[in-house]
Amino acid sequence: MIELFEVTKRFANETAVDGISLRVETGELCALVGTSGCGKSTTLRMINRLIEHTAGEIHLDGHPVRTFNEQELRRRIGYAIQSTGLFPHWSVARNIGLVPRLLKWPKARVAERVEELMDLLGLPMAQFADKYPHQLSGGQAQRVGVARALAADPDILLMDEPFGALDPITRETLQVELRALQARLHKTIVFVTHDMDEALLLADRLVVMRAGRIIQQGTPLELLRSPVDDFVASMLGGENRGLKEAALTPVSERMLPLSPRLISRSRVGRDATLHQALAVMFREHADRLTVVDDDEMPVGELSLRRLVGAGREE
Amino acid sequence: MRGWKRGVMIAVMREWRAPLVWGGLLIAFCLAMGELEPFYRLIEPDSRRVIYDRADFLTLLWRHLTVVGIASFFAIMIGVTAAVLVTRPAGRDFLPLVAQLASMGQTFPPVAVLALAVPVLGFGGVPIVVALLLYGLLPIVRNTLAGLEGIDASVLESARGMGMGRMQILAQVELPLAFPVILAGIRTSVTVNIATAALGATVGASNLGDPIISGIVNANTAYVVQGALLIGLLALTVDSLFARLQP
Ligand SMILES: Nc1ncnc2c1ncn2[C@@H]1O[C@H](COP(=O)(O)OP(=O)(O)O)[C@@H](O)[C@H]1O
Ligand SMILES: [Mg+2]
Repeated sequence: MIELFEVTKRFANETAVDGISLRVETGELCALVGTSGCGKSTTLRMINRLIEHTAGEIHLDGHPVRTFNEQELRRRIGYAIQSTGLFPHWSVARNIGLVPRLLKWPKARVAERVEELMDLLGLPMAQFADKYPHQLSGGQAQRVGVARALAADPDILLMDEPFGALDPITRETLQVELRALQARLHKTIVFVTHDMDEALLLADRLVVMRAGRIIQQGTPLELLRSPVDDFVASMLGGENRGLKEAALTPVSERMLPLSPRLISRSRVGRDATLHQALAVMFREHADRLTVVDDDEMPVGELSLRRLVGAGREE
Repeated sequence: MRGWKRGVMIAVMREWRAPLVWGGLLIAFCLAMGELEPFYRLIEPDSRRVIYDRADFLTLLWRHLTVVGIASFFAIMIGVTAAVLVTRPAGRDFLPLVAQLASMGQTFPPVAVLALAVPVLGFGGVPIVVALLLYGLLPIVRNTLAGLEGIDASVLESARGMGMGRMQILAQVELPLAFPVILAGIRTSVTVNIATAALGATVGASNLGDPIISGIVNANTAYVVQGALLIGLLALTVDSLFARLQP
């Protein structure tokens, strides 16, 4: 668990972070979103003390970060950044093994762990272990960066726009993989991004920042349903945020039991999102869908009225 | 087995061809300068002697190497240390000063350093070592600074972020990454100093500069050619050695 209490960071002539309070529960992914320069990276780096906070308190599992030895603290916290910061003169395997070696793990255990991580991040050992960072594509380098951050199995992971420099397709692939990874590993993650779609996809808790302050925080759906002001609303995509909400809501939440009178031939999976259901309706000119389970067995139905949230009492 | 050994020999010879060739020529000329007497006679028909013989060339070469070696050793130690210190947080304040000194010092002629060193340090080997050290310091400082400052900031940030200590970052990240640039500075420093060391002959430090100075004083061009030839070959040998080391 990470807690920030009224944390402030002043640089010589500006206040980068201005009294923010935040609580990231264990196993939760918290996304910090905001325009460039609003203090996201500064907030992140105060957690592993790459930057020392000026005022307030930062606690990890109830202990102030200042009470830890700086280096030991950082070895317990994974850190991945946009430009990867891989060591160009080290092979992929050596880069990934950095923190375990700093922690003086026995050689064999480091090697084993490196192999495990390369496997986890889809980097075949035979193909990548001896490569150097300049021989990797952007996506591969970022996988190595994430593998290195996870190497010593830290409970906490700090990620600063890790996918920000990738092409849209690679970015999406890595986002989906990170989500799958997080579903397995349950790390406590603080994830900085300026890409709201990325944040909505990944975050359990969404924090919108502006000019060093937190404007609003909550679950993605809470923010989408009731943004506190026009800034948050426009960050969330303005009018488009309806569709984003639909993309976060599963069909099962709105479907009704199957009614015998009319079984639609158009179908949608129970685990699909309302956004996907809408797309099926649009494509198949249907205002009513049969909801099916994994075995294609009908389990309910969804009307357009229900989908958009009107006529709940139907 | 014998064929295998020969194969390795040939591979080594190929890799080290340039330094081997230049070094071989250097030794050959040192040993067999006398054989070239008819040639030097052409240059200097009127002189009584045409082969410098106040000391043998191998001895002069050895002294030349010693002077340059000692000066370069200290120049590397001091230069790299200084550049490392001024790039640490505590020494940052001195960075502009040192960087400026390093680039300005290069324009200061080594003869002037010698002229200033002799009154203080007297004649002999010490002033020339000091002059070479000071003169050779500059390319090393400049290149070490450039090498360290040129490291991608994100690499250093992630090194810190992973929990490496300052010394670990210096030894495992900064110096290895800056090494090619530092080595280039050392190469410049050493090769320039091989030529500059000849000036030592003017302050009583005997080395390959002797034939040159003596040739100038006695108007014997053959001596000058012999000194210049050996210094040139030495510079080429050392430079090709560095070229081989450069990653
Ligand atoms: N080391 C620093 N020294 C001075 N100002 C800084 C430093 N780091 C960041 N800042 C300033 O703090 C503000 C917030 O920066 P940052 O946290 O990097 O923003 P973000 O990551 O949201 O883009 C910016 O105005 C930036 O100029
Ligand atoms: Mg940033």
